Amino acid sequence: MEFVERFKKSFNIEWVKLELLKTAYGKKETYMGQLDPRVIMIWYLIVSLLPWFTFNFVILIGLAIYTSVLALITRVSPLIIFLLAIGVIGELGYIFLVVFFMGGDFEAYASLITLTLKIIIMSIASIAAFASMDPEKLSDALLSFGVPAQFSFAVSYGYRMLPILMDEYQQIIQSFRLRGKAPEKAGFLKWKLVYYYVVIVIKAFYPMMLNTAKRTRTTVEALEVRGFSYSLHSEEAKKQKLSHLKIKGKEYQFIASSCVILTIIHVAGHLYYI
Amino acid sequence: MGMQRNEYTQSQKMMVFILSMSLFGLANLFTELLPEFTIGPVELSISYLAFIPLTLVMLFNPWYAAFGASVGEIIFGDLLLGDFGGLGELEGFIEFTMAMYIAGLLVTNLNSRKQIAIAAIVGVMIDQMLSTVVDVGKVWFGIEELEAVPGLPASILAIEGVSFVTEMVISGVLFGLIPALYLIPKLYGKIEPLLGIEPREGRVKASMTEWVSVRFVIIAVFLMFVAMISEFMATMDINFAVWEPEFLEQFGEGYIWLPISAAAVIFVTVVIAAVKFSKSRNSTKSRKSA
Repeated sequence: MEFVERFKKSFNIEWVKLELLKTAYGKKETYMGQLDPRVIMIWYLIVSLLPWFTFNFVILIGLAIYTSVLALITRVSPLIIFLLAIGVIGELGYIFLVVFFMGGDFEAYASLITLTLKIIIMSIASIAAFASMDPEKLSDALLSFGVPAQFSFAVSYGYRMLPILMDEYQQIIQSFRLRGKAPEKAGFLKWKLVYYYVVIVIKAFYPMMLNTAKRTRTTVEALEVRGFSYSLHSEEAKKQKLSHLKIKGKEYQFIASSCVILTIIHVAGHLYYI
Repeated sequence: MGMQRNEYTQSQKMMVFILSMSLFGLANLFTELLPEFTIGPVELSISYLAFIPLTLVMLFNPWYAAFGASVGEIIFGDLLLGDFGGLGELEGFIEFTMAMYIAGLLVTNLNSRKQIAIAAIVGVMIDQMLSTVVDVGKVWFGIEELEAVPGLPASILAIEGVSFVTEMVISGVLFGLIPALYLIPKLYGKIEPLLGIEPREGRVKASMTEWVSVRFVIIAVFLMFVAMISEFMATMDINFAVWEPEFLEQFGEGYIWLPISAAAVIFVTVVIAAVKFSKSRNSTKSRKSA
């Protein structure tokens, strides 16, 4: 049933558009969202790498619970949780099924669970860290870690251009549909209809590519007039852009509490080894 | 081809980058929300509209187009959707950028449909092979006693094999090769002037050295793929001989890691060498032109 629901929703373009805009521009005033993005990124790196250095089940479960609690605090969008759940459940069920047919026994599942736990910890940690983070904040953090400035520009650009691009693509598709003729009979499993839409989706990229090329040139020329390339490589411009990043009391609290919790999890793991 | 790459000005590089990023990002928004059909072991899903980066990589400078496409995927498909995967994204980013870059380098004559077709298929294949290698590696690294679990290595191989084939058919041919063959002849010579760039010359051939390094990378990827899979098969064999404990002791666990780490080292070295080589070539050329 979930599949049918998702299918119906996916084919309602308006819904998709609204949902996307909501996720991209929604308010993100959560606990993790308010912290300095650099601290969050380092936290994420540590937490997602830790599970790969251990096979201790207690530590893994502790980490999973810890990241889940943080993810719950950050109030993640239901769409994202839904997509993640579908992915994990599908993957798990699928692996179990194949192992079963290949003649595996319960032991196979047990060791698979360890692996799945590790992957789950990684994805929950990334949700907790990044779902509530403003994309521009994230790009600032990356910039301060030395990622090329082009990336941080691309984030800002995408953030602003997304609605325009989506509108334009939708309009091209609508005009294709206006001038075209949908198949009268849907055929077996509606394949004729699916084929009709697939062809439109692909053909619509022809005008889309040309239009985007024109717009891109305008954008870049406007940027160059303001000395954009120069600012990309200027240390001073970078410093000014990142001056708002500061580590204060809140961040210190977060760092201290994470250290304590991670230590407790590891000590517990070594005391109660299963 | 080498000469052409150097003709790009700073703003033209930026234009190609933004163009590729916006288009592939938009396509990713779209595919991210498409439903997946799962029929038993076969998962039919469109994981990406490969024809967009393939087209751009062949029409423009392959590096900036490939890089832009990967950035677009991360920004539109993940970051703006609040679905940023952190380290997992890095893996896909490297795989995809490299695959598309190679696809772009392979084409020397845009009027040849054969070349376009080969480059498109090779591009998607490299991406899929690399991701298979990484997936198998993850299972290897993440499970303590893989050999001790009967049925598991075979299952993982079966899953990866099926997904490789379906990905090649759906992403590689249906949404890669065929649309690219439709779009490239239509766009060639039309889209470049919009950015103030000369169309890629049809008859310019890549210099021998460039070809060699591209081939090296392709072969390295392929060898790594083969090495990983065959070593994985070897794990299965040990698995069948599980009632002969001496056999395990004789080889030990380290034995498995030897060839695979050798393959990895060779692979990394080749990539670094190729990158350094092309960089030094570029710098000598720019010095000459200056």
